[in-house]
Amino acid sequence: MKDTFRGGVHPKQNKDPQRVSPLRVYDAKGEMVFPLSQHIGKPAKPVVAKNDEVLVGQLLAEADGFVSATVVSSCSGKVKAIEKRRTISGAMLECVVVENDGEYRKLDGFGERKDYSALTRDEIIGRIKAAGIVGLGGAGFPTHVKLMPKDPGAIKYIIANGAECEPYITCNDRLMREKPEDIVEGLRIILSLFPNAEGVIAIENNKPEAIEAMKKASSGEERIRVLPLKTKYPQGGERSLIKVIAGVDFPITALPADVGCIVDNVGTIYAVQRAVAFREPLFTHALTVCGDAVKEPANLIVRDGTSVSELIDACGGLKEGVSLKKAIAGGPMMGFAMSSLDVPVVKTTNAVTLLCEDGSEKAELEMTACLHCGRCTTVCPQGLLPQLMADAVYIGDLERYEKKLYGLECIACGSCTYICPAKRPLTQTFKQTKAEIMALKRAAGGKK
Amino acid sequence: MNTALNISPAPHTRDKWTTRFIMGVVALALLPTAVIGVIVNGLHALYIILASVLTAVATEFLFDKVCHKPNTFLDGSAVVTGLMLALTLSPSAPLYIPILGSVFAILVVKCFFGGLGKNFVNPALAARCFLLISFGRTMTLFQVDGVTTATPMSDLMAGRAVNVTEMFLGTANGVIGGSALALLVGGLVLWAMDIIHGEICFSVIGGFTLLIGLFGGQGFDPRFLAANLCGGGVIMGAFFMATDYVTSPVSRLGQLIYGLLIGVLGALFRICGTAADSFSYSIIIGNLFVPLIDTYIIPKPFAYRKGADAREKKSFRIPKPVIAIVLITLIAGAALSGVFALTKDTIEEQKLAANTKSYQEVCPEAVSFEASSSGKEAIDALDGGVYGSGFGRVYINSAVVGKDASGNIVGYVISVTSADGNDGNITLSVGISADGTVNGIAFTELNETPGMGMRCGEPEFMSQFAGKNISSFTLVKSGASADGEVDAISGATVTSTAVVNAVNAGVDFYLKTLKGGN
Repeated sequence: MKDTFRGGVHPKQNKDPQRVSPLRVYDAKGEMVFPLSQHIGKPAKPVVAKNDEVLVGQLLAEADGFVSATVVSSCSGKVKAIEKRRTISGAMLECVVVENDGEYRKLDGFGERKDYSALTRDEIIGRIKAAGIVGLGGAGFPTHVKLMPKDPGAIKYIIANGAECEPYITCNDRLMREKPEDIVEGLRIILSLFPNAEGVIAIENNKPEAIEAMKKASSGEERIRVLPLKTKYPQGGERSLIKVIAGVDFPITALPADVGCIVDNVGTIYAVQRAVAFREPLFTHALTVCGDAVKEPANLIVRDGTSVSELIDACGGLKEGVSLKKAIAGGPMMGFAMSSLDVPVVKTTNAVTLLCEDGSEKAELEMTACLHCGRCTTVCPQGLLPQLMADAVYIGDLERYEKKLYGLECIACGSCTYICPAKRPLTQTFKQTKAEIMALKRAAGGKK
Repeated sequence: MNTALNISPAPHTRDKWTTRFIMGVVALALLPTAVIGVIVNGLHALYIILASVLTAVATEFLFDKVCHKPNTFLDGSAVVTGLMLALTLSPSAPLYIPILGSVFAILVVKCFFGGLGKNFVNPALAARCFLLISFGRTMTLFQVDGVTTATPMSDLMAGRAVNVTEMFLGTANGVIGGSALALLVGGLVLWAMDIIHGEICFSVIGGFTLLIGLFGGQGFDPRFLAANLCGGGVIMGAFFMATDYVTSPVSRLGQLIYGLLIGVLGALFRICGTAADSFSYSIIIGNLFVPLIDTYIIPKPFAYRKGADAREKKSFRIPKPVIAIVLITLIAGAALSGVFALTKDTIEEQKLAANTKSYQEVCPEAVSFEASSSGKEAIDALDGGVYGSGFGRVYINSAVVGKDASGNIVGYVISVTSADGNDGNITLSVGISADGTVNGIAFTELNETPGMGMRCGEPEFMSQFAGKNISSFTLVKSGASADGEVDAISGATVTSTAVVNAVNAGVDFYLKTLKGGN
């Protein structure tokens, strides 16, 4: 079997400083902020009111509708406010603010391992839903929805995504090295929902220890295998993994389940294990604090709602004598730049990357006209023609962009922008154009 | 610590390669060629290169300045354009040629169309064509030590013998960037670095070679193909000109078609045309097809291509028209090769008969002729190169030993070709008896001007060589008196000189190689 997809780029890994740092639990001290929308879908509906006392693991907001996820408190204390706050994406969103008393008093009913072998399919999915688990790889799609495809029997592969192809980020690497049995158990739980599926743990070959640990933990498991992959971005993209494992390319309008695949981040699978075996809701997750501006890059187990600036302090703070240019929630390829560090970590925040040098800023200075060198075409994992797409946008021909060049198939992985020697902002243009086309479509649909 | 942070959409990191880096590598890849060009052709070649590059950069700088545009002259593309143009010029061109050419390339072809990435034909080539049209004589004038001389390319176009080794190394007379070896090395480095697309350069060379082989008239003779590939800017065109990003198609299939088109056109112009620089035109024409190719050949994303879904049985079939075309090409090729092979024998036989007849003419005592082994060795050692010095461009074709009925050596016959004839090659046989006396000469190839050069074939002229036992003949205008002096045919000095040189070469070859041996 091939160990990679077509296209892709090789950004500098920058993983070494934090690879060696074991996962360390960090308990926050300040106030905790819980946005009601930490997932794709409808925001959750708050079930607490101001001045209510809450405990660790207590429901703060319940899922509103099918595609939605619950929000759970990660600390104990008093609800200070339910108001709009700046969030990590920069948007002002409705949040539940809890004054953390620092005691971390726990709600009863979770934390102890109980036998779950007798649970039915619906009960397992119910526990995952109640735990508020969403895709921790970054997209934040509610996991219980993903695990309910139309035909569970048609699912051929459950892919545990441990590729971690973003530069800098190492928290999944550490998670796989430190909790391999738990991840395998989580994968086994998911596999129990899909009778015809095989579990594939996909890991880039720059993580030999993780591959070894997962192989050891899954030895003897008939339905699970570990698949080392070539180190190449975006190897951890859903589509790249499906291409390698199932050999299928599918249009953006189709879901992985349509081609018999379900892809879950190893962090998500670990959360599933905690939810099903321990009835523990999702309120902590692994996160990497990294970048050349931070003193002690580290992998942490953080509580949702913790302020980003507090996490930086927990890692020794910023280096002296350097100025922080850019703070990224996530990695440098797909993460988004933060405007402020006083924002809370949410479920999908897998890294905080702090950089002294902003590649985008430098790129702007070096930008020239498009050379038509074709490097973007070579690296596009979707097989698109970014240079022609950019031309189409430039002349305002959205029809050509969408119909002839399949511009909406762009997955915004950033490979074309990364590789462009003329430093054109390709991905950025495509994201914006996609939003424009979708808005136009909605407007046209509304008129009818 | 909450100072202003940069906000911009992902990705936040970039690859190291910049436009300037790529242009720099391309310029570096051309550097060996330029260096060899300067070493072979002298300092004036360096001045041409400098004039071309500096003018190109200055033109872009001034245009941007005058038009109040952000200055782009430092991105390196003007340097590459200037360098490429200079390498396609004659080393004896006056300096206004590169200067005018660079201004045309940068100003008219590039800047007027919107600058980098907007030109629709290769600026350096367009400028070259502009110069060829405007200064035809100056552009095609190739001088060595102040004397206008034929280039290997013009010889090749005229069907004369050429020295492939010289062409390959770049020491032959021709443009500054004439070293096929250096160009090939630079081009392959660019290809290995993924800076140029293999789809283009190899399809150009493939298409060109195939067509030259099929219809060039000499089959797939490696020497002939190599001579065609090494000359006339084919390597330069394939690796550096046709691969120009802006003026080549986007898709791989498009690039293949584009490359084949250029290769095929180049070969057609070479076979049917008369201009030695026709490869420039074929690339320009290829450039003009690019928008059309890019309109019709747009590859679909992976998900929409056939076989995207691996669960379906893969049943990829080569489309029938493709098979048909391939078969037709193969059959036509085989047929042509067959015809060539058949006629080749006949041609050879006829040549052999003509040769034997001429042998007997100049070595009447012999009843049989066989190849001289020492002569063959010496001829092989020449590797098709010019024989000796002081004879002009003469080539030794063969040397045979004449024997009488009892097997005794009675004489030698050397077949010599001179490429210095007025109208093509002159080939003659020099007969020398065992004691070193020239028996006489006989022409096997003489296509000179009737009434003038052709009169060299008359007995009056030819008999002047017979019965002389000397090491060298001297040509005099008239009134030959001393031994070894030969009267020139009046009005045909070129032909007479070529004949005397050829005879002298034959005698020299006899004295140095054949004498006494077998």
